[in-house]
Amino acid sequence: MPRIITQTLFLLLFFFLFLQTESKGTDKLGYPVELFLEMDPLVALSTFLSGRSWPEHIGLCLLVIAITAVLGRVFCGWVCPLGTLHNMMGAIKKWKGPQRVRNWFHAKYLLLIFLLSGSLVGIQLTGVFDPISLLIRHLTIGVYPAFNYSANGTMDFVYRTDVGLLTSASDWIYDVLKKTVLAFQQPYFAQGALLSLLFLVILLLNLSERRFWCRYLCPLGALLGFLGRLAPFKRKTSKDCNSCGLCDQKCQGGIKTEAWKASECLYCMSCGDECPKKAVAFGFYVKPAEESVEIGRRNVLLAGGAGLASVAVSRATPLFNPTRPNPNLIRPPGALPEPEFLARCVKCGACMKVCTTNALQPTFLEAGLEGLWSPVVVPRVGYCEFNCTLCGQVCPTGAIQLLTPAQKREWRIGTAMFDLNRCLPHAHNTPCIVCEEVCPTPKKSIWFKEVLVQDRNGQELLVQQPRVDLKNCTGCGICVTKCPLVDAPGVRITSIGETRSKKNQILLSNNYY
Amino acid sequence: MERRAFLRNSAGALGGLAALEAFSPLFNLNAAQAARPDLAVVHGASIDKIVRAAVDAIGGIKRFISKGDVVVIKPNIGWDRTPEQAANTNPEVVSTLVKLCFEASAKKVKVFDRTCDDSRRCYVQSGIEAAAKAAGAEVSHIDDKKFREVSIPNGTAIKSWPIYTDILEADKLINAPIAKHHGRGKLTMALKNWMGVMGNDRGRIHQNLEAALADLALIIKPCLTVLDAVRILTAHGPKGGDLNDVKRLDTVIAGVDQVAVDAYGATLFGLKGEDLGYVKESADRGLGKMDLSKLNIKKIEA
Repeated sequence: MPRIITQTLFLLLFFFLFLQTESKGTDKLGYPVELFLEMDPLVALSTFLSGRSWPEHIGLCLLVIAITAVLGRVFCGWVCPLGTLHNMMGAIKKWKGPQRVRNWFHAKYLLLIFLLSGSLVGIQLTGVFDPISLLIRHLTIGVYPAFNYSANGTMDFVYRTDVGLLTSASDWIYDVLKKTVLAFQQPYFAQGALLSLLFLVILLLNLSERRFWCRYLCPLGALLGFLGRLAPFKRKTSKDCNSCGLCDQKCQGGIKTEAWKASECLYCMSCGDECPKKAVAFGFYVKPAEESVEIGRRNVLLAGGAGLASVAVSRATPLFNPTRPNPNLIRPPGALPEPEFLARCVKCGACMKVCTTNALQPTFLEAGLEGLWSPVVVPRVGYCEFNCTLCGQVCPTGAIQLLTPAQKREWRIGTAMFDLNRCLPHAHNTPCIVCEEVCPTPKKSIWFKEVLVQDRNGQELLVQQPRVDLKNCTGCGICVTKCPLVDAPGVRITSIGETRSKKNQILLSNNYY
Repeated sequence: MERRAFLRNSAGALGGLAALEAFSPLFNLNAAQAARPDLAVVHGASIDKIVRAAVDAIGGIKRFISKGDVVVIKPNIGWDRTPEQAANTNPEVVSTLVKLCFEASAKKVKVFDRTCDDSRRCYVQSGIEAAAKAAGAEVSHIDDKKFREVSIPNGTAIKSWPIYTDILEADKLINAPIAKHHGRGKLTMALKNWMGVMGNDRGRIHQNLEAALADLALIIKPCLTVLDAVRILTAHGPKGGDLNDVKRLDTVIAGVDQVAVDAYGATLFGLKGEDLGYVKESADRGLGKMDLSKLNIKKIEA
């Protein structure tokens, strides 16, 4: 029971912080929303290996390491929000008799070795499997938008049906939901369905074996298992044990009594709770360490080798030719130069969750396979808010550096250019000023050239044609987002001119580094 | 009668604020005897005082708001800018109007705007959300489902458009714009402020801004307009951002006729009403008067 209460509290804390990862109209969030990422030793370690520097806030993570060394994988059993969701999912099924255990415990260690050796050479795939990053990402991109969509859809329906009392009641309910669990505006994400589905699959694994993920796949579980393998806090069976096997049936880690290992135990303590003889107890015991999981030297070499080789496989692409940058790879403000950015980004999706305008979207293959689900600005969806630095505030690894408001307003993520074949004043002699109106730089980066043009009847008209001031434009993309040509805009942002790159420049005068 | 004639002539002759200040004691002297003016132009250091004086001068708040009214005050909250940057209506102008409505026993006062930048940032950074809420108003963000298609039978540029339900259901509307430079309309003040209750892709109306704004004025009829010229934005509008473009006038202009308010507002920038296409179009269609020489304008120092 204390475990379930603790798990519930941590899960609620996680959800609360997740919901608080949203703009409140200022450049402050008010809560330590990246708390769970900060306590994650795997994120810290892989950032250290691939980014060659520790994350800024390391205290909580050291605490988790220390606790694990003494108490074993209590994080998995008592704290991890994904672990708790696995528990809940596993509880859906009625489990009878001895449980089927596949004994693939070593798999997660091999995955960990693969991921960390990749990190060592600058490939950051850890976040794809790290449970905290995974949970935030799949909630942000998949589950949460879907949840909002269903709530908004229901409320819209009730509003439209307009049946007196029901509609006013729904107005009230909607107001409460808006203030508590719903997003300020409906989030939309590319690949939302895919990420929802993958998340569902990961949860459904619990119907095959309880905590399948935690037993066999979780690289954080593997790291904590390694750190906690010598933990003095151990399980002990007294002489009263009559080998009834009830503890084996209830074990969330899927370990047999005779093969108990600190590295595989989730410390849920179900075994002790279930024991009819009260023969199982956890306590501090000085006794020789248990035999560890057999991973296999060959397998270790293979996994490590694959990790090291991954850099060669994924980097030999024109995407990494710095003289041919991807025009659509518009990274958030403060992002490191592309190789360093990729070495750090764990694809946790926190930046996408916090982005004020929904501009940050997950990449698919635009940044290569290794860049999968990293953030990219898609101006047709949203723009980079001029006074906002929230993405840099929530980034757990420094892939997006935290900018001061003044630095942010100067930071270029790309450059706007007009499509003269579509823009209304340019191509169609039709007045339109929306791009100029919304341009946020104090000295507007879009200015008008007044041009005398002729219509088809030879009538002369004076038209204000928008032009981009390359020296001022930050590439924020609001001109694209707001362009009245709603399908394909008359103005585009490409990554050229981005502050983070030395090579991706236009102007002779722009020397950033 | 002579006095009124004198007032009218001087009002027409006066453009600049310096003149206004110099002559203000004279106007004060004559204020009591003048009939109810069309426009009140009030200058002074206290925003609360000048807003109250302006509303009082054109008949007092009770002329416009009755007991039990649901009132919408529509400021410009369009931009993620602070009050010093003069891109949104001054928060104290808004909060004073809210207080006035409650003093006239309004049942409810709503304040909102369909912003251009992120709504949360606009509401907070403008200072309007906090100020209006403190004064007792209900400040809410636009709810996208609450737009209702309204037909404009006499419209020339737009024949129908989705308009925010709260506007359609309010008993009284108060227009509370700020006076600013604008790249297409030259200036944006009262008439253009109603873009903030339009749904859909309202950016398209810039293709025929003059007619579209006049069309909008056919269906949206505020009982009172108070133009905020405490600070005006003289360039790089309507979003601004550079304090060098901001001019402090410590003035508000109140009137019933939005066209007249805009025509007077133009003079703050050295322009005339007819220089603004949408003001001229609206006046031509009989939606209001832009000829300042035919208006009774009362200038007050508060």
